[in-house]
Amino acid sequence: MSVKRRTFLQGTAGAIGLAMAQGALSKIVYAQGAAGTLRVAIAKPAGNLDPQSHYAIWAIQDLMFEPLVKYGKGGQIEPCLATDWKIEDGGKTLHLTLREGVKFQDGTKFDAAACKWNLERWMGIDQFSWMNCSKHFQSLEVVDDYHITVHFKEPVLALMQELSYTRPTRFLSPKSVDADGKFKEPVGTGPWVQISADDTQSVFEHYDGYWGDKPTYERLEAKVIPDARSRVAALRAGEIDLVGGFWIAPLTPEEGKQLEAAGFNVVVDPGNVTLVMAFNPDRAEPLKDPQVRKAVSIGIDRAAISKVLYHGYAKPAGNMFSAALPYAGKQFDAPVRDAAAASALLEKAGWTGSPIRSKDGKPLTLELVVSPDAVPGSRVIAEVIQSEMKEIGIDLVIRSVDHASKHTDMLEQKYDLGFFLTYGAPYDPFGSLVALCLSTFKNDVEGKLVTDPVNLDPLINAATAATGDQIQPTIQKVYDWLRDNDAIAPLVYVPSIWAHSKRVQGFTSPVTEYDMPYENIVLAE
Amino acid sequence: MFHFISKRLKHSLVLLFLASLVCFTLVVSAPGNVAVLIAELRGAVATPGYVEQVAEEIGLNKPLLMRYVDWLGDAVRGNFGISYRTGQDVSADLAARMSVTGILIAGGAVIATLLSLALGFLGALWPYRVPDRVSRGLALLGASTPTFFVGALMIYGFSVHFQLLPSFGFNGPQSWILPWLTVSVLPAAVLSRVVRVGLEETMASPFVLTAKSKGLGRTAILFRDALPNITPIFINALGTQVGLMTATAIIVEPLFAWQGLGDYFLAGVRFRDFMVVQACLLIFLTFFILVNLIVDLAVLLTDPRIRRQWS
Repeated sequence: MSVKRRTFLQGTAGAIGLAMAQGALSKIVYAQGAAGTLRVAIAKPAGNLDPQSHYAIWAIQDLMFEPLVKYGKGGQIEPCLATDWKIEDGGKTLHLTLREGVKFQDGTKFDAAACKWNLERWMGIDQFSWMNCSKHFQSLEVVDDYHITVHFKEPVLALMQELSYTRPTRFLSPKSVDADGKFKEPVGTGPWVQISADDTQSVFEHYDGYWGDKPTYERLEAKVIPDARSRVAALRAGEIDLVGGFWIAPLTPEEGKQLEAAGFNVVVDPGNVTLVMAFNPDRAEPLKDPQVRKAVSIGIDRAAISKVLYHGYAKPAGNMFSAALPYAGKQFDAPVRDAAAASALLEKAGWTGSPIRSKDGKPLTLELVVSPDAVPGSRVIAEVIQSEMKEIGIDLVIRSVDHASKHTDMLEQKYDLGFFLTYGAPYDPFGSLVALCLSTFKNDVEGKLVTDPVNLDPLINAATAATGDQIQPTIQKVYDWLRDNDAIAPLVYVPSIWAHSKRVQGFTSPVTEYDMPYENIVLAE
Repeated sequence: MFHFISKRLKHSLVLLFLASLVCFTLVVSAPGNVAVLIAELRGAVATPGYVEQVAEEIGLNKPLLMRYVDWLGDAVRGNFGISYRTGQDVSADLAARMSVTGILIAGGAVIATLLSLALGFLGALWPYRVPDRVSRGLALLGASTPTFFVGALMIYGFSVHFQLLPSFGFNGPQSWILPWLTVSVLPAAVLSRVVRVGLEETMASPFVLTAKSKGLGRTAILFRDALPNITPIFINALGTQVGLMTATAIIVEPLFAWQGLGDYFLAGVRFRDFMVVQACLLIFLTFFILVNLIVDLAVLLTDPRIRRQWS
């Protein structure tokens, strides 16, 4: 077989050209017109939207599926698919009045039967026993078409808050599953209907039969842009209108500042998630002494971290939870850095010498484990803290790990100091207190922020058992114990940063990090 | 020649087997517990024992050798399992994403070829003069600029500043221009030097002197005689660059929000999605081996000296 080189070159060029042209024609997707369309960035594809599964972006589920009650500002529970509710029998019985005139997007009526069908998909099922209302579920009875009563074996802590979660609690049309009850398509009662979805975008149009206030614009496109810099560029190029949020498509404070300088509207929510430093006295002998923990805590300049690293968007934290959350307790100002007082505390604790202090011949060395994947910006924060610790005679060693290794290390307590994020609304304060601080609750995912079976557990148990007016004083005892023992060091309330183009008017940041901020928006064309 | 092809195919199969072993070992020996990550992904608060349940569900408790044999057997049948992260079929995801990466690499290869030939000829037509220096400078700049920076510059210039081209996604044929240009800068820079040096060496050959003595001009000799002579070395170098473009795709695809194999691989690594990472690595390695095989065959077809050696 003999082929001339020229023939080969010509043939190859022709074949490549043909393949390219064919690929080009099959892949052409022309841009949709932007008029009447809100284009939002999301960091990953929406995924499987089954409200009872755990893969999809929560904010996308929020567009279609509604809860019985909504979590409002400051933890205020507001009506949604339930217009009224009454808790009786010491918290063991819940009477619900359902909203009349509501239809699912496929025309199915929302009534007590549809409500029962939905609740029985998850209530009392082991997989969802992390929710108290599922764990303690006993029975459910339909009173009439629009009234339902749910019985629990024990009073349910933060019952109405749990019913406002994005999943598994939201309502799906009984016709949107196959014969085996398996999820088929996303059909809810919400204001948005999904038109199409793939790995590049999810497209929604507003639901004409929606019972509440309909959005003023026709269409919402959630564009998948995994890279943060690309999201910023897309906003600046006018290809998207809205970007941000803690989980949806996060912006760093630097990016927020850049967009502000470029004339975009940047909205910063003080946030209801707290970045907290954990001490591990089980591994680091010096941290058993509360004086050393206090010295570390007051040796950190929270104001500088907030101002420099968060560009003033974050607020220094003096408490485990911010005042934006219900039952957040008495609020204290963040500790002001006092290197002299920190040094004095270390001297008092027997750690002397310089530049690195020591005791019984052992240097005061602590290891701080950080994972920038899990807590964005944590490496830089750690480096600032490292230099501050050096000034008071502590040798801080930073170990940076990836997301997966961080989980293993935190679970196995392979750290002296570490960063934790609280869960935020609507889970807090009880979600983080139980999962991160109660020793008897097995948390195989995050590990523990702090535990003390003897002193702290009874206080948390009392707080979770309290009802009505008793909740505030009993939960305050938990906060007081944490504060009096310098058991944790809250650093900053992590802000949620949003940026939008001039087309978007009336934007308000969502109440929780799991909601999509589509309400109140008016598009200027 | 058939002896050559059969020998190369056997080598490729052995390489593929070794590659599967390496990528399986690398992925499973990475630190971190994937079951914990999946538990975190599935819910804000895990129930007691849920992580063990997840580990059982995805087969993490089986012995390593059994996991490898299971995985390889399925992979040979074209079944790459279910993604831990999304719960979707990995083979279907791969099929959907392969065309995106294919278009990216094919377009990049064409642009790199055209650009490198243009730059190489620019230098060869005016050796050691201004165009040659410019061509060398551009090659140096292209080879030493990181791909993510090239991409960022392209987006800033063409999308943000002039608003001429889309910065992400598939919004028509114009969407491909920036990713293609980004992916082709580095190979174009490397290949332009191959062309320039190859042409210079060829122009020093005795047959060029003969051509000159016949009265042919420099340009004619370059295109008619020298270009076919550098074809084998160019194909060799292009093959290497196309293979390396799979690595560049990992950077370029997320940058332009292209849902290709690079983006898929990156998301898999981030979440220790073993099934995805192993499948992507195997595909990348297979592609690399395949490209090398094609290059060898193409060189065989274009170079009579090698054909004589194997005939």
